[in-house]
Amino acid sequence: MKTRKHIWIWMSTITIFSILFYLFFWMVTTPYDLFPVDPERAQLMQRAIINILSRKTIQVLAMVISAVLISSTALVFQTMTQNRILTPSLIGFDAMFITVQTSIVFLFTASSILYINTYVNFFAATALMLCVSLLMYRMILRNNRNNIVFLLLVGMVLSTLSRSLASFLQTIMDPEEFQSLTIRTEVSISNMNTSIIWIAVPMMLIVLILIVKDLKTYDVMSLGESNAVGLGVSYAKKMNLALIYIALAMSVATALIGPLSFLGLIAVNAAREMLKTYRHLPLLILSSLIGIIFLVLGQAIIIETGYLTTVTVLISMVGGAYMIYLILKENRT
Amino acid sequence: MIEMKHISHSYGDFKVLNDVSLTIQDNKITALIGANGAGKSTLLGVVSRLLHPTEGEIFLDERDIKTMKSKEIAKHLAILKQTNQLNIRITIRDLVSFGRFPHSNGRLTKEDYYKIDEALVYMNVKDIEHKYLDEISGGQRQRAYIAMIIAQDTKYILLDEPLNSLDMRYAVEMMTILQKMVKELGKTIVVVMHDINFAAAFSDHIIAMKDGKIVEQGSIDYMMDKKILDHIFDHDFCIAGVNGRKVCIYYNHQQTAILAERKEEVL
Repeated sequence: MKTRKHIWIWMSTITIFSILFYLFFWMVTTPYDLFPVDPERAQLMQRAIINILSRKTIQVLAMVISAVLISSTALVFQTMTQNRILTPSLIGFDAMFITVQTSIVFLFTASSILYINTYVNFFAATALMLCVSLLMYRMILRNNRNNIVFLLLVGMVLSTLSRSLASFLQTIMDPEEFQSLTIRTEVSISNMNTSIIWIAVPMMLIVLILIVKDLKTYDVMSLGESNAVGLGVSYAKKMNLALIYIALAMSVATALIGPLSFLGLIAVNAAREMLKTYRHLPLLILSSLIGIIFLVLGQAIIIETGYLTTVTVLISMVGGAYMIYLILKENRT
Repeated sequence: MIEMKHISHSYGDFKVLNDVSLTIQDNKITALIGANGAGKSTLLGVVSRLLHPTEGEIFLDERDIKTMKSKEIAKHLAILKQTNQLNIRITIRDLVSFGRFPHSNGRLTKEDYYKIDEALVYMNVKDIEHKYLDEISGGQRQRAYIAMIIAQDTKYILLDEPLNSLDMRYAVEMMTILQKMVKELGKTIVVVMHDINFAAAFSDHIIAMKDGKIVEQGSIDYMMDKKILDHIFDHDFCIAGVNGRKVCIYYNHQQTAILAERKEEVL
């Protein structure tokens, strides 16, 4: 139990440190004099600092939201699919977002309200994604829950297919429309779409509350379908609801910071490894913390090293290696 | 009382259950026997709402289970499927605690803890309650699962081949415990079994299925009959008496008979 406590203290400290690092490190490295003696310049500088800080805070907020959503839905998704390797993004949830945005522009043009209005666009894209993902994953997940290799293949095919479809549509569309489309699709951590932050915050809270409410049920569901049904869980209903939450969360996260394939995988499995428990509540909290650390600290380091690479590459590298390790380990047992 | 009325279930075009009507009597161990693929597990699945029958109705104490909520059913009826391979690492105590889920929704009360302890003691796993399921023997694991069912505190218990992968000693122990549960705790138990001799020794009533239908049912004495068993399993049985009890032999008995005949000839 003592080591458990240590894990919590350490991880929360590192999380806070990462955030502070991201917010304030530029102050240390900046060549400018941040606190000039001249009162007029001091006032200007103060305003500049506040400006930068508030922009950075919103970025941190966006990263925290995305990390929490990606990690917690990866956890729930793994319970639903009864495996420890798949995550929603690995089987193409985020590729779908880009396809959906592209098809909106292609079908309704970039000047339609569905695209111009950030909020309407967000809801339209999310709704479309919900329908598509529910349809697809219910058809595939239901019958192949235990066949991880098959699911990975399907995911690969699906995400490649939707990416190709998107780029095909982008190729044949009007160049000007394509220009405006890239604002939504070329989102990454270095280029966040923070305009939807005030819709993302409540969405995250809603999804999180809904998930946390069902965590005890997910504990039971991790015993497998027959045991869970025997213990009075309406399995199919809960699974559908969870898939809806996952699709919602993935569209929020992808709209904010773009696709991030391996974050959920790393966060959830590292949390499992550390806590060695099956209970969802501690796993959810710790995997969210790990997700935040990876994203925020990773991004901070990359900014401070002068954008030598991107955090997506970093996470993919670590995550990819980790996934190979997990698959090898799973095969051995 | 569990009543099934005209239950049919099909996988695609294949009818696994074909118009099954059945009543399970209270306070008894009912053994469900039949060849592989006869529909025993499917029947159990249908009764426990793991599967939805294509046709027919099921009544639990005269209430249609379609009108009952899943959680409500779980307070009256528990099911254990064959070979539970879990994806998670969990201690015996935590597993048994899950048995209280229908009652507590995951927030355990004092009464729940009491029931959990009671179940652990009843199944004799109290002293190893903090061990993980992958650290204990198959017999202990099976006992842990039964303890979960006891903690669930239901009147009806359905078990799908609980003797699978148990050695003879543990199998006998398991059946003795089931008998005790019927006698002491007033449970009604339905067990899918493959070993006819176990069914004959420990159950009160035997139901035999073949090709998705109930072909025979009755008391042990009635069912332990060469003609009936031959028909159920399409196999050659030999019924013998040991200490006033009927036992069936289902392998090598012709050969033994031939050998005996030969011996006589030699003599």
